[in-house]
Amino acid sequence: MTVSKVFSKTESLCPTCFKKIDATIVVRGQSYIMKKTCPTHGDFETTVWKGSIPMENWKLTKERANIKKPLTQVQNGCPYDCGLCPQHRQHTCTALIEITQRCNLNCRFCFADAKNGGKEPSLEEIGALYKGVLDASGACNIQLSGGEPTLRDDLPQIIKLGKDLGFGFIQVNTNGIRLAQEEGFAEKLKLSGLDSIYLQFDGTDDLIYYELRGAKLLDLKIKAIENCEKVGIGVVLVPTLVPGVNIGNIGEIIEFALRHINAVSGVHFQPVSYFGRVPHPPRDEDRITLPELMDEIEKQTKGKIKADSLRPPQCENSFCSFHGRYLLQGNGELSALRTAPDCCSKKAEECSKKAKIYVAKNWAARRQAAQSETATADSWDKIINIIKSSTFNLSAMAFQDVWNLDLARVMDCCIHVVSPEGKLIPFCLYNITDAQGHALYRK
Amino acid sequence: MKEKVEQSLPWICDKCKKELALNKVKVSYLGGNFEVELMKCPECGAVFIGEDLALGKMLEVEKGLEDK
Repeated sequence: MTVSKVFSKTESLCPTCFKKIDATIVVRGQSYIMKKTCPTHGDFETTVWKGSIPMENWKLTKERANIKKPLTQVQNGCPYDCGLCPQHRQHTCTALIEITQRCNLNCRFCFADAKNGGKEPSLEEIGALYKGVLDASGACNIQLSGGEPTLRDDLPQIIKLGKDLGFGFIQVNTNGIRLAQEEGFAEKLKLSGLDSIYLQFDGTDDLIYYELRGAKLLDLKIKAIENCEKVGIGVVLVPTLVPGVNIGNIGEIIEFALRHINAVSGVHFQPVSYFGRVPHPPRDEDRITLPELMDEIEKQTKGKIKADSLRPPQCENSFCSFHGRYLLQGNGELSALRTAPDCCSKKAEECSKKAKIYVAKNWAARRQAAQSETATADSWDKIINIIKSSTFNLSAMAFQDVWNLDLARVMDCCIHVVSPEGKLIPFCLYNITDAQGHALYRK
Repeated sequence: MKEKVEQSLPWICDKCKKELALNKVKVSYLGGNFEVELMKCPECGAVFIGEDLALGKMLEVEKGLEDK
């Protein structure tokens, strides 16, 4: 018989019927396993944390934020009243607006389950969504998503509209195909006010793209990065990590990013999560948890990036992500930048404000800002330029699916999808589906 | 007027009574290590950082290195 120690008790959902059920996270060796039982559909077990960093070392406790303008009321309790409801414990750091459901790829893994067709919000409707976000959450960071948002010819107008309304940081989540293929498109986006590209970038080998996206895309990714560099749009590489496909490519992705540091401000890994209809519940070997990823980063960069240089987040629930910040030295070495002494607050509201600034500061273009060095620049100017052009960000976010969903984490979420009705819904809940592929929120 | 006078006068190390001179100094903050030129005592190595620098470019460097 295996002896298990209880790490924590929480709540989750039944993967079959979405009923809210109790869940327990137990410890077995280096693994932390969520166990839950639905009275109708039986027992479920999923590893949620595994690796050399114990889950207890990652736990941060914060004083909750209170949502100033909840758009829904508590009726059935979390996760059934999203909007945000008054029970939610964190403000919006990034609001995600889906501007199309059209896509020019047919990916094996897609949060949005994008397909061609469906109604697109008009520019006027997007304006109303922007205003709703401003009213509920203030000028948070915006990510325009889809579908593939670059398929909209009015994307520059959509960006400009957001900027004109007062959003300081706007990012487009894209596969990069149009940025690579259409001459002048990157410049149009830059002129409209775009700060950053959140570029789907699954690896440095075309076999990876073929497996995950159904096409060989590496050359297009490189071209898209070059085009963004030319006009000064910051690029964040976003690999979806899938066991059996690209876990062994993690070190090379980081090396690639460092070689393109003029344009690439960082890598943001997304361990695969399982949405939509699946033939069988995902097995533990179908997943990579955050500590496993941190261990892989250290191993595959041959210690250039140490797992202990990565830290839990201040804004969202600590078990949702990690991040690290580095300075690329002239000799190719990376120095891990430590946390400022006064950085960490115990208040979720304060952390949310800092996280918004962090993303805007670190994910936007740096090289252009650094090019103002003149002949009269002193040694301090040179350092300022080095920092602007050579800081490198490494992060990951573990999205939750119906099998590993922890409602305590969801309540701390700061990445909110703006639904077509203008509600703000935590990213994981917006995308979550039951085992048959039925969505809880997405229509 | 006061500033002008200060700029024209040499800075003297209070401990060693030596005139400070512009020299290379290693600075580090939060894991970032750099070399800069600062007014330094040739005897004891003490450096002088004026208010303008502390609240200007030096602060900008600090903020650039801080992660929030």
